[in-house]
Amino acid sequence: MKVPATLIFGVILSAFFVLVALLSFVWTPHDVAALNIADKMQAPSATYWLGTDHFGRDTLSMLMVGARTSIAVAIVAVGIGIVIGVPLGLAAAANRGSLIDEIIMRGNDLVFAFPSLVIAILITAVFGPSAVNAILAIGIFNIPVFARVTRGGALSLWTLDYILAARVAGKGRLRISAEHILPNILNLLIVQGTIQFSLGILAEAALSYIGLGAQPPTPSWGRMLSEAQTMIYTAPRLALWPGLAIVAMVLGLNLMGDGLRDLTDPRLRRGRA
Amino acid sequence: MIRVEDLSLTIGEASILRHVSFDIAPGKVTALVGESGSGKSMTAFTVMGLQPRSAEVTGRVMLDDRNLLDAGEKQLNRIRGNRIGMIFQEPMTALNPVKTIGDQVAETLLIHGKTSRAEAHRIAAEKLTRVGLPPDRFPLSRFPHELSGGQRQRVAIAMAIALSPELLIADEPTTALDVTTQAQILDLLNELVDESGMSLLLITHDLAVVAGMADQVAVMKEGEIVEADATEPLFRGMRHDYTKRLFAATSHQPQRSPLPPDDVILDLAGVVCEYPGRRRGLFGRSDPFRAVNEVSFKLHAGESLGLVGESGCGKSTLTRAILGLDPVQGGTIDAFGKRIGPDFPNALRSGIQVVFQDPYASFNPRWRVERLVAEPFHLMPTPPADRRERVAEVLRDVGLPADAMGRYIHEFSGGQRQRIAIARALITRPELIVLDEAVSALDVSIRAQILDLIARLQAEHRLAYIFISHDLSVVRAVTDRVMVMKAGEIVEAGETQTVFNAPRHPYTRQLIAATPRIPEDWQEAKHA
Amino acid sequence: MLRFALTRALSLALSLVVASVVIFAVIEVIPGDPAAYMLGMNASPEAVEALRDQLGLNGSIPERYISWMGGMLTGDFGTSYTYKVPVSELVAQRLNVSVPLALYALVLSTIIAIPVGLIAASTRGSVADYGIMGATQLGIAVPNFWFAMILVFIFAVTLRWFNAGGFPGWDAGLWPGLKALTLPAVALALPQASILARVMRSALIETLGQDYIRTARAKGLSRGQATTRHALRNALIPVLTIIGLQFSFLLAGAIIIENVFYLPGLGRLIFQGITQRDLVVVESLVMLLVFAVILVTFLVDIAYAAVDPRLRKPR
Repeated sequence: MKVPATLIFGVILSAFFVLVALLSFVWTPHDVAALNIADKMQAPSATYWLGTDHFGRDTLSMLMVGARTSIAVAIVAVGIGIVIGVPLGLAAAANRGSLIDEIIMRGNDLVFAFPSLVIAILITAVFGPSAVNAILAIGIFNIPVFARVTRGGALSLWTLDYILAARVAGKGRLRISAEHILPNILNLLIVQGTIQFSLGILAEAALSYIGLGAQPPTPSWGRMLSEAQTMIYTAPRLALWPGLAIVAMVLGLNLMGDGLRDLTDPRLRRGRA
Repeated sequence: MIRVEDLSLTIGEASILRHVSFDIAPGKVTALVGESGSGKSMTAFTVMGLQPRSAEVTGRVMLDDRNLLDAGEKQLNRIRGNRIGMIFQEPMTALNPVKTIGDQVAETLLIHGKTSRAEAHRIAAEKLTRVGLPPDRFPLSRFPHELSGGQRQRVAIAMAIALSPELLIADEPTTALDVTTQAQILDLLNELVDESGMSLLLITHDLAVVAGMADQVAVMKEGEIVEADATEPLFRGMRHDYTKRLFAATSHQPQRSPLPPDDVILDLAGVVCEYPGRRRGLFGRSDPFRAVNEVSFKLHAGESLGLVGESGCGKSTLTRAILGLDPVQGGTIDAFGKRIGPDFPNALRSGIQVVFQDPYASFNPRWRVERLVAEPFHLMPTPPADRRERVAEVLRDVGLPADAMGRYIHEFSGGQRQRIAIARALITRPELIVLDEAVSALDVSIRAQILDLIARLQAEHRLAYIFISHDLSVVRAVTDRVMVMKAGEIVEAGETQTVFNAPRHPYTRQLIAATPRIPEDWQEAKHA
Repeated sequence: MLRFALTRALSLALSLVVASVVIFAVIEVIPGDPAAYMLGMNASPEAVEALRDQLGLNGSIPERYISWMGGMLTGDFGTSYTYKVPVSELVAQRLNVSVPLALYALVLSTIIAIPVGLIAASTRGSVADYGIMGATQLGIAVPNFWFAMILVFIFAVTLRWFNAGGFPGWDAGLWPGLKALTLPAVALALPQASILARVMRSALIETLGQDYIRTARAKGLSRGQATTRHALRNALIPVLTIIGLQFSFLLAGAIIIENVFYLPGLGRLIFQGITQRDLVVVESLVMLLVFAVILVTFLVDIAYAAVDPRLRKPR
């Protein structure tokens, strides 16, 4: 099987950011919490590879810790979507056309009417802004996404003869969903998971940017951008690095998702059968 | 009118066609016959200039004095639909779902710039009337999804003959259709050839269709024409081995000796199956659809019972009810003396197994054969200790090596997969196996082997079969008794030979008359 | 068709009711006492009581819900606590900015994406196709607010073609208004156009592989004719879905972009509402956004049925 070049590139790019985020737990060039007004607004140098901001914090160190925030928020949000959405989708498909299916699907429509930003606004209005709110808002929006993908994939499998054969073998809907359906839609879910992961990174950045996400002093790419905006006339480079980081990470994840889809799409594999 | 000379086609490394040559005479029906992968459809596509872009073609396709293989795309576009029309196998997807049938037929006329819009619609109405869809019953404003498969194929034909082409290419035009619809479409094609002097190139896998339709036949195998002649001499002569084998497989009769009558193992009384109507909104539903209406019959141990009928007649629904997959809405089904329902014991359930039609959809692609075949052990309170040996044994029984156990399903051909499906059905040592169109998706030569296997297993294991098929000749060859089903009801039942030789119900007669057949006297030569 | 529209409308109306209950519960029930929340910790009990009275918080929960919904239906969204003016007035002003912005972006994204997707699909595998796919891949990865900052830096700070932000109001004329919305609309449209172009491309490639395209070719249509006459309309079906979904992303995106360009739209209003704990404003605006999303979903469903005759009649 030929591995698509986009997949390799995507995996390398994504892995790079994950490693940087992990590294930031044990080492960063400078302490991100320490304010060093004497060294504020430094241009890139041997000491500060990417320069410093208006508080004298090291941009590179901030980026490293920011990667951690982004990835953590996105992973948990995707997790929420999978843990709740996938079983709902499986249940809806296993009981196609029943009241359960109808309720789950209408519930999905309902959540789709709340863009994650709106959910974040609602939560923030009542509980105040925090990274947890960002996770919840993105995670809630992910639930119907996964429920839909799961249901769609599962429905096309439920019509296949091997599911009938399993029923003739006396297996119930739950067991069939676990043994036959889930393993065969796993590739769909992995691809969707990658996509939602990248959307999660973007959403986290947007929420932090407008102040509904991670709060100071936790560094995050989105807030670095919002702080840089006021200084765009004097120090455009402060807006450059976090933006590039977001683009590279999201690009890596998207390429990985596309590559995985190409690799697992039966329509592309048919020629080999 | 078209002469194909030394046509070869390769895609990448694969050689698809090799030195194919044949003539299509004006006003005649020429048939290309062969099994799947023989290259017959690719030949037709190449004549139209519609072969895949990656294909490398050599040889000549001569129309008048011009080699179509050298013609540019523009010239080909002027020929397609105008001088050569084409229809395809799958009428359900061959029409654009978002355009009306009138527009689609008229488009053929408009695209070639022959007429005004109004005139095109008038001719479209005329052509649709000619193919049996008069506008008073089938307005031009109908969309494809409002028509049945047979009706859609008629629309496709109207589209193809709108400009009265000199040649119509029909690629398996009736394979996806029921037998009575098939007969109507074939009649229509015959009439069109007769009345307009059009040539017809008929691509098919079905020798019986060829025998009834074609003037000239070319038999294809693995990209080559192995034998070509006028139809009758070809059938009588059978000079080539492959033609002989194909012929033998088509009319194959497995050796079987009916078992003496025994106890009743399955008893259906007044069975009714209904589908709930479509859900409308949260609470409403439309009226239920009755798929099976008051069906009663008994099945004895070791007996082979056929169930024939066309698509939508309710045979699949009935199968599901017998397998206990869906509840019945009326009547009762008893198996081995117990009522089939939620309380039907698993131990008895293992006495009824099933083989489905599609060998490609019958197995979880992520499981190895051992696990696939052993799945029905789930019906037992504890899986047998000699599970592996049992799996090996049934695999041997269906003619597969024991090392098949460790492999995945994609490593097997369609015929082998159907053997594995039979092995899975045998693993619980059932008394009854439901064969739901179990050989319908297979090429004739593979089908003959599987029919032999089924017959042998019946004798060895004293199996009862319910053999469900739309193919009357197969049912005739392998069953003791037969039931004919139409619109949810059994319209005729009896000894297979009696029913086929002296059908009483008009529908049975219609079915038998519609089934294409190779004339009896052509077959004598084969045994000589 | 009418029946189809009515069933969908009914189902979406139901979603709207449920959504309103959720919003009401989150804003008015979960915090306990909204009045105390709005005034903060240092408020005197008398002030809280006065606000409770003013907001009508002394009734039972169902009573309050019904009076809120009743107000929304008659255009009475309550009175903003901070601005001391009816919320409906505030909303009307702000809609003048937000709706044109979202539509501007939607139009931009659609007129860019559809031809681009068409070109990529019909030249599949060519350099042009790879170039387009690469560019759209990048377009999806760019956060719109960052792109907005880049636009500001290039076109406002460096080239000085546009203002870096602010909105002169439609009274200043159509052109100044549109000009002020151009950079924000471009920033919003780029990622959406990238997604849409990709969807268009794959939908078209998928349709071009369908049997009816082969039928059309057998009738004598050229590849191009088969694409425009048969594939395009079928490919529009998934594209419509995405356009509908994008509207809600655009609305949400507009909230963020308005902050980059200091545009006096709904987004800014919502943020002021949040920072000033003006729950009356937040509640009404969230409800309005959800209503807009549901309305667009409905319109897309109807557009679907117009494109696809199979949906017009229940099978």
